[in-house]
Amino acid sequence: MDQSNTASVSSSNSVSESIPPRADFFKVCDFNFYYGKKQALYHVNMEIPARQVTAFIGPSGCGKSTLLRNFNRMNELIDGIRHEGDILLNGRSIFDKTIEVIALRRSIGMVFQKSNPFPKSIYENIVYSMRIAGVNTKSVLDETVERSLRGAALWDEAKDRLHDSALGLSGGQMQRLCIARAIANRPEVLLMDEPCSALDPIATAKVEDLIHELKKEFTIVIVTHNMQQATRCSDKTAFFYLGKLIEFDVTQKIFSNPAEKQTEDYITGRFG
Amino acid sequence: MPTHILTSFEAFSNAGFRAKLQAPMPTHILTSFEESLSALRNDALMMASLTERNLVNTRKGLFERDEDWCNTVIADDEEIDTLEVQIDREGINVMLRFHPMASDMRNVIATMKLSVNLERIADQAVNIARRGRKLIARPEVGEIAQLQPIFQTAESMVRDAVRAFADHDVALSRSFKDRDRELDELNRTFAERMTDRMSEQVENIPTYMDLIFISRFLERIGDQAKNIGEDTVYAISAEEIRHTSRVAG
Repeated sequence: MDQSNTASVSSSNSVSESIPPRADFFKVCDFNFYYGKKQALYHVNMEIPARQVTAFIGPSGCGKSTLLRNFNRMNELIDGIRHEGDILLNGRSIFDKTIEVIALRRSIGMVFQKSNPFPKSIYENIVYSMRIAGVNTKSVLDETVERSLRGAALWDEAKDRLHDSALGLSGGQMQRLCIARAIANRPEVLLMDEPCSALDPIATAKVEDLIHELKKEFTIVIVTHNMQQATRCSDKTAFFYLGKLIEFDVTQKIFSNPAEKQTEDYITGRFG
Repeated sequence: MPTHILTSFEAFSNAGFRAKLQAPMPTHILTSFEESLSALRNDALMMASLTERNLVNTRKGLFERDEDWCNTVIADDEEIDTLEVQIDREGINVMLRFHPMASDMRNVIATMKLSVNLERIADQAVNIARRGRKLIARPEVGEIAQLQPIFQTAESMVRDAVRAFADHDVALSRSFKDRDRELDELNRTFAERMTDRMSEQVENIPTYMDLIFISRFLERIGDQAKNIGEDTVYAISAEEIRHTSRVAG
């Protein structure tokens, strides 16, 4: 693995703290995406700011999750896909041939709709990727577990049962464990694909509160069907329809006075 | 005597409002949301009709020196108060149940604020009616005729503000700042004139005081109409024009 290349994509947190957050941390440039012959994204152009929460909204099949999964090149696990255009992370193409995909994904954590803890202990879930990378120093692993669980607002609930099975946690706790696992590698970006859709309102509130805390350190992109959640959580909102980015603006503007009629029709429920 | 509004519903016979209510609107997917928004709007327009009618009755009582009209205005205010509470309840209910967004949200907020302004206008009508009863009990003075243009200006502002809200007329909604200034000037000039008359006709001081108060109530009605216009502009275009010195039409 070419460490020098990956390092330039994933700058360290200490460096990112000392410079003002970029307004174009993610820069999507005239991006088209295809599943075989079917085009899923059409000429998407957008700039996602660092250390803010950006929400993607739109009806099912509009392309929001497809774009999200392009940010960490997850779509490459699917046969027959191809893209045109580019996505820059911190000014550098994520599709650059010198970019190590594993390193890219390490710098871009992802949380899915359904919490997916490994059938292991809480502790082992968090240190799993570190063990794979060959890190076995107990103090380092312990520090990572505590930092990650604190970061995911789960430490107080889990500190006395770290070696219990993660499958014994509640749904909300499992999702926060997955967030803890995602931030264990100190990524710069957290991608969240409908992270609260399977959670009850209390667990949802805890995750939303967590998102608010996490944005101080991470750039967050969240796909949600819950527009109230987008209103509460995000700084900017992008509305997608039929694979096209219809509108991208400050969240309050989108939900109080959208510029595009299609956005207005969608968020007021007058669609179709 | 006029018939009672809740039995005849005559005040709601304004053809413009009915036409507006029947006009096709983009349909909301959630039928119950659409129905709740319509109910809220209908109640607000009914309240507007009642308020306008109260102003008409106030004018009749004041200038025709008819105490019955004045009493009717005071009695009918209760219905307007009831509607204000009902519209508040409906608006909160829509917010709770449907979490309206964008133009829906702005319309719900503007409708709730409309009802507050209408209730205040109706209260001013009651204040005028009460002063009117006092005036009727005393000998008539010729200066009351000078209130006519002030009353007409205030009344037309309310009528147009309600029409602008009902018709989503941004241009009309923007017109009230200038008209409110005119009304302020009419009120100021009238008060000066009445103050002069007080020193000339000391025995009529209570009457002139009542006329000054009525002029002041009308000036406040103009303020409420202006507020309705500002809220309507926000509802339609999301533009904030409150506390701006002058807005181009």
